[in-house]
Amino acid sequence: MSQPSSPGGLATSSSVAANQDPSENAVWEDIRVLLPNTKEELKLDFSEKVEQSVISLLQQARALLYGAEGFCSGNTRETCFQVSEIIIDYSWEKLNIGTWRDVDKDWRRVYSYGCLFKVLCMCSKQDAIADIIQVCDMGLLMGATILDNILVKIINVLQRHLMCGKRSAEEDTESCRKKVRNDPPAIPVIKSEEAVPHLHCPSLEHFRENYMIPEKPVILEGIADHWSCMKKWSLDYLHQIAGCRTVPVEVGSQYTDEEWSQRLMTVSDFIDQYIVNKNGTGYLAQHQLFEQIPELKQDICIPDYCSLGEGEEDDITINAWFGPEGTISPLHQDPQQNFLVQVRN
Amino acid sequence: MAQTGPLRGWFEFGFRGFAEPPCGGARRVEPEPGGIRVVRPAWSYTGLVTGRGCLVLRGATGAALPGRCRDLLPSESHVLLLRGAALEAWARGAGLVWRRRLRPGEAAGPPALPRAPGGYVVLRPPFLRPLPPGLRARKLVLGHEHAALLGPAGAVYTWGSGRHGQLGHGALEAASEPRLVEALHGVPMRDVAAGGWHSISVSEAGDLYVWGWNESGQLALPSLALAEKRLPATAAGAQLEGGAGEEQRQIAGAAELMSASAEAAQRAAADFISIQAFPALLDLPEGAEVSKVSCGSRHTAAVTRTGVLYTWGWGKCPSDASGYTMLQAWSHEST
Repeated sequence: MSQPSSPGGLATSSSVAANQDPSENAVWEDIRVLLPNTKEELKLDFSEKVEQSVISLLQQARALLYGAEGFCSGNTRETCFQVSEIIIDYSWEKLNIGTWRDVDKDWRRVYSYGCLFKVLCMCSKQDAIADIIQVCDMGLLMGATILDNILVKIINVLQRHLMCGKRSAEEDTESCRKKVRNDPPAIPVIKSEEAVPHLHCPSLEHFRENYMIPEKPVILEGIADHWSCMKKWSLDYLHQIAGCRTVPVEVGSQYTDEEWSQRLMTVSDFIDQYIVNKNGTGYLAQHQLFEQIPELKQDICIPDYCSLGEGEEDDITINAWFGPEGTISPLHQDPQQNFLVQVRN
Repeated sequence: MAQTGPLRGWFEFGFRGFAEPPCGGARRVEPEPGGIRVVRPAWSYTGLVTGRGCLVLRGATGAALPGRCRDLLPSESHVLLLRGAALEAWARGAGLVWRRRLRPGEAAGPPALPRAPGGYVVLRPPFLRPLPPGLRARKLVLGHEHAALLGPAGAVYTWGSGRHGQLGHGALEAASEPRLVEALHGVPMRDVAAGGWHSISVSEAGDLYVWGWNESGQLALPSLALAEKRLPATAAGAQLEGGAGEEQRQIAGAAELMSASAEAAQRAAADFISIQAFPALLDLPEGAEVSKVSCGSRHTAAVTRTGVLYTWGWGKCPSDASGYTMLQAWSHEST
């Protein structure tokens, strides 16, 4: 039995309202199917650390989303947008009290919910897709996983609706010319007995006995030769796959400098400013890029040697470092054993 | 000819989405029998103490509270009450969680929380904290993670987390005990205020000193975030949304604007101040002298001797990166 559609564009009384004319807002139609069918299924469960006043705002946003008035009515959406911004602003303050380690995970989840509601309003309003993706990215960078990683799913849908600008052939040769101009850095002379040994695909046992257990550094060759990244990764590819994604960048040559700071910018901006044109020093450092952009994770593998570690495979963290040639990391020790794989373009 | 007298009373502005439909602008607070003696805003509600000593809450209601008190310190999680015979902490969802009896006469005097008999109070356990013996506080104010104290001779002491420069000691280290703000030595202060992560003091001469986090321009120093907000929303690189030629031209134009602004931002980046670790002197327009100052979490408000109110910092309204939002004069009586 079909329900008559009311002027407000209701589909059913409890699911998220359909738009009046589906062809008008294809983005909204594709996004709305990612949401739970009913209000009750969009869980808002938090510990008592999250204050009741915030929970009532979250409930209000959810009620507007699934409400009888229809989400695409201007007033409902505008109110929901305002409420979502307030949720974001309030939880942002909690995220900035104490060190990052001290921040309660539930406040990060609240922040993500705020971003989610805001994103839904922006999709319904037909805001610029790049702007909507930016809000999703803020939820991923500062928040914590909600609703089975719905923000990543939303970004996938949004990117399908967005064609990132292709670089022209002219610009390609220009960037090539710029690279050739730089002199390679001088390679220091190292005594052979002090050099880090190179091994080609050693057995797990050999690696474990001779390097992992005695904690000696080693360079393993041949491990990553067949990873897709070796063929696929280029600046063009990164522009295409991740150009509009927002990432944290360290600006300044050393973190001990007064001018050193961290900034958020899109991958395209980072490439343009710090890789191709080198306006100052910028480094995308120690960021879980592959969690944020799972498409890139498909281009890499986890080396078998990681199975020799003590924890579970889920405990393995993968960080990315992306910078221009000449980027320097000072000598340091890491708290965890790790492998560094370098892909050079 | 009728003359309007000075406007007296309490006005509130900001988000009021918890009690009534959200709207902006200033609105007069409804009076109470006996008048309103104390106003303490939290985030989702405001606590009032009337002239008759009644405690009134406006906004989001929590668990029931006693009907009478002398002063209160509200937060989203707790309310601290100064009552005739005791200091009490009430959890918003759970009722009375802490009580400290007071000796007769200890609760007397004008409302001064978080200054309290025995030290000062905060809104998480342990609620009552001591001050070093011999350090008397004319005024004491709390930020999210720090505290500031105005001493009898006009010296300022700060303690707590220093990660955003809110202690004003120059470095970003924490201080576990009240520590003198050396940079203000020799300039006696008359008032002190604390926001979430910033601190303000006013000298006897009416000069304003600011330090701490400037991420929203709450120190009225050039703020990168405010400058970047002025860039058009769609200027995010060369991206096509599968549209008509006109869209492409518009977006290409926006991309040019973005790269030009990004360059300008790069060049000017050194001029933006995110953290001010030492007190900086702030000049108000026309050299106005400040009589009182007050802070929200990420904004600052100052009243001049002539009764003009200035506010700056976080607010969903446009303002220059280093400019001020000036509001009308609300009262010719200093509060």
